[in-house]
Amino acid sequence: MSREHENKQNTSVADILKKLSRNSVALIGSVLILMMIIATIFSPHFLTIFNLQSLMRDIAFIGMVAVAQSLLLLIGELDLSVGKIATLSGVLGGILMTSMKVNPFLAFAIGLLSGILFGVINGLLVTKLRLNSMVTTIGMQSLYGGITLVITKGKAVTNIPDAIFFLGKGNIGVFPIPFIFAIVVLIVIVYFVTKTKTGRYIYAIGNSREASKIMGIRVDAVRVLIYGIVGFISALAGMLYVARLGSAQAAIGNNWPMNSIASSVIGGVSLTGGVGSPVGAIIGSAIICVISNVIVLFGVNVYWQEAVSGFVVVIAIALPSLLTIIRECSVAKAKA
Amino acid sequence: MSVLEAKNITKIFPGVKALEDVSVSFHKGEIHCIMGENGAGKSTLIKCLTGVYEAENGEIFINDKSALKDRSLFKRIAYVPQEISLFQKMTVAENLFIPYDKAGIKGRINQKKLEEQARPILDKFNIHVEPGKLADEISVSSQQLLQIARAAAFADYDVLILDEPTTCLTQKDTENLFDIIRKIKKEGKAIIFISHKLDEVFELGDCITVFCNGRKVSTAELKDVDVPWVVEQMTGKQLDYQETFCSEKVSEEMILDVKHLTGAMFHDVSFSLKKGEILGFSGLVGAGRSELMQAIFGYLPIYSGEIVCQGKVWKTGDTHYSVTNGMFYLPEERRSQGILPDMSVKENISINTLDTVSSWCGISKRKETAKAEEIIKAYNVKTSNLNKEIKFLSGGNQQKVIIGRSTCTEPKILIFDEPTKGIDIGAKTEVYRLMKKLAENGIAIILISSEMDEIKKCANRIICMYHGEVTGESDYGSEKEEILKAILGIKTSSEEGKTDEQRA
Repeated sequence: MSREHENKQNTSVADILKKLSRNSVALIGSVLILMMIIATIFSPHFLTIFNLQSLMRDIAFIGMVAVAQSLLLLIGELDLSVGKIATLSGVLGGILMTSMKVNPFLAFAIGLLSGILFGVINGLLVTKLRLNSMVTTIGMQSLYGGITLVITKGKAVTNIPDAIFFLGKGNIGVFPIPFIFAIVVLIVIVYFVTKTKTGRYIYAIGNSREASKIMGIRVDAVRVLIYGIVGFISALAGMLYVARLGSAQAAIGNNWPMNSIASSVIGGVSLTGGVGSPVGAIIGSAIICVISNVIVLFGVNVYWQEAVSGFVVVIAIALPSLLTIIRECSVAKAKA
Repeated sequence: MSVLEAKNITKIFPGVKALEDVSVSFHKGEIHCIMGENGAGKSTLIKCLTGVYEAENGEIFINDKSALKDRSLFKRIAYVPQEISLFQKMTVAENLFIPYDKAGIKGRINQKKLEEQARPILDKFNIHVEPGKLADEISVSSQQLLQIARAAAFADYDVLILDEPTTCLTQKDTENLFDIIRKIKKEGKAIIFISHKLDEVFELGDCITVFCNGRKVSTAELKDVDVPWVVEQMTGKQLDYQETFCSEKVSEEMILDVKHLTGAMFHDVSFSLKKGEILGFSGLVGAGRSELMQAIFGYLPIYSGEIVCQGKVWKTGDTHYSVTNGMFYLPEERRSQGILPDMSVKENISINTLDTVSSWCGISKRKETAKAEEIIKAYNVKTSNLNKEIKFLSGGNQQKVIIGRSTCTEPKILIFDEPTKGIDIGAKTEVYRLMKKLAENGIAIILISSEMDEIKKCANRIICMYHGEVTGESDYGSEKEEILKAILGIKTSSEEGKTDEQRA
């Protein structure tokens, strides 16, 4: 009797693990909530409006870029130049606003357009010359970063007009404006991948580029489009960051490429393409931001912060496959 | 005394009996040829004999000891696969000696010494290349010989299995290979020689075993039999049921005209296709049929020639154009080119018709599901759930999904490339009926098939290809022998001069 009961319990645990390891968004969402609960219990400073607002502001930038990056990961590619596109677009926009006296909002828009251009250049290189996306964008991030240095001569572009500060620093209600931008980007991208034809083709290409071509999908056109979108979103993040700092400088977005990829993977987006959701990517970025926030709140030694954050990120990435391993063990036990 | 013996081997794959109660034995100093059409069970038998597959039933004896009990005995069997499987970016010598312990080389590897050691072996196998060259720098026939040398030079083996070793060899290299095989035979080894080429079998072999539909049909001494006998054995006893599937509503209207098409694997091919017709393409693996069709479809490049569809010149090199103009290609490599493995059955069906299942706010789940249900019903796809990932369906059901998806946009031309590869008899018949129905609804169908039976039952006309060229065309009901000769490249007297010229 008791044994039967035990068996039943075992299988139900296995079932929950199974469901969680299948649905990565639910899994990673619950991990995020769990982390926030723990943080609230152990630090009185975590659940304060001030802390949450700065957390949301951090999530906004990495999250936005992670959503973009997840699109590329879905087709089995990646872009390591997202950070430098953000910098270069930010600097271009900044210079237009300051030295050239262009209307700040127009300059903001031109910055965004330049991001699309940089993204499309990446896309054309990868598709037309049949290059590997990783190596190509490593090169391109050097190029974009180098151009930024040439333009700025290493100095920050200051005297950004006050008119656009609210885009980076302002709040609507309790929500920072960049965070609202990130949520809008997320909603638009989720609609794009779930409801539109091209969005569906992204998954198809990620599943099998050959099969997609045989089905008559214009594979290369879709790929270039995605690079363009990624460039646009990177530039948006870059311009908002300029508005937040009140200056445009070459160091913006240095850690965005790696963080956006890690966020997507934590959120269950497959590195080989075809599986995952942009929602997972933004939750993944929230986890990364909460980790670094909590490390500071818990007063971890400054020199240890980076190591601890890296360790937790690796754990987060390993979580789905860990759950699968545990499930398989428990199933094997139940059978034995 | 037999050195290798299979007794009552039965091997079952999901839905298919690949081998049924097969018994065959191989002897020392004997070249034993194995023939049969594609899917007859040759490869499965070889995989059982080399210990790759474990048979559901039956026994394998190596030197009269049960190999299933002592698996180390399988080391006595040397196997040379059909495809070249060398380390392309390593040198000839390295390829020869890897794994090093097998060749008795221990400790540090000295490249120079390795190359010196390789020389006598290369000489023995008539491979005239520098041992320091990379494998991908030497000719295909040298690569093939190197593979054989690798298997046969060191390993202490009793049986050497050669799986279609001459597929990519020229006449001269083939003769060279035969000399080597005869040498090995004299050393007292048993040789299993699998080939599609009748003339080679008769030149080289001592005895022959013919397979058909997973059964052994017969074994005979080659000196007692002739070519017609073998052809009869290969093809004669397959017509278990008489249902035919060729279209009965062939229109006179031409839909596709292919003129002097040349590409990487085919040369100067011309043919035309009528509405409502099933046009079969027969040939051996590597005859260039798939490459030809993929080029017509726009997936592979065309070097010269022209395609005309209903009076309009067809745009080449653009699969999107082909699909939107009603031409679909249903690939042979279903897993890598046909399905989107991680996507659901529903998404796999709707991918070509997303416009029709969309409303003002994008793709409608309701419409998409309805469409998928309609297709699943119409094509009798067996799946427990529309949202199941398609990789979990059987090959036959995957194929039906692909056919269903291609037909829901009113196509004009469908190209089926080995549509029944790897699917069981029942599902095969369903696929044939579907093709017939589609053709009779006015769609032109091209059917590439390596199964003689299939192409004879389904095609209104059969075009035979050999080495990238059209070698014959026959109508429904033609003799199997005639088709077989054309796809095996056996010269008829009138063509003899021409073929010799091409070989040279």
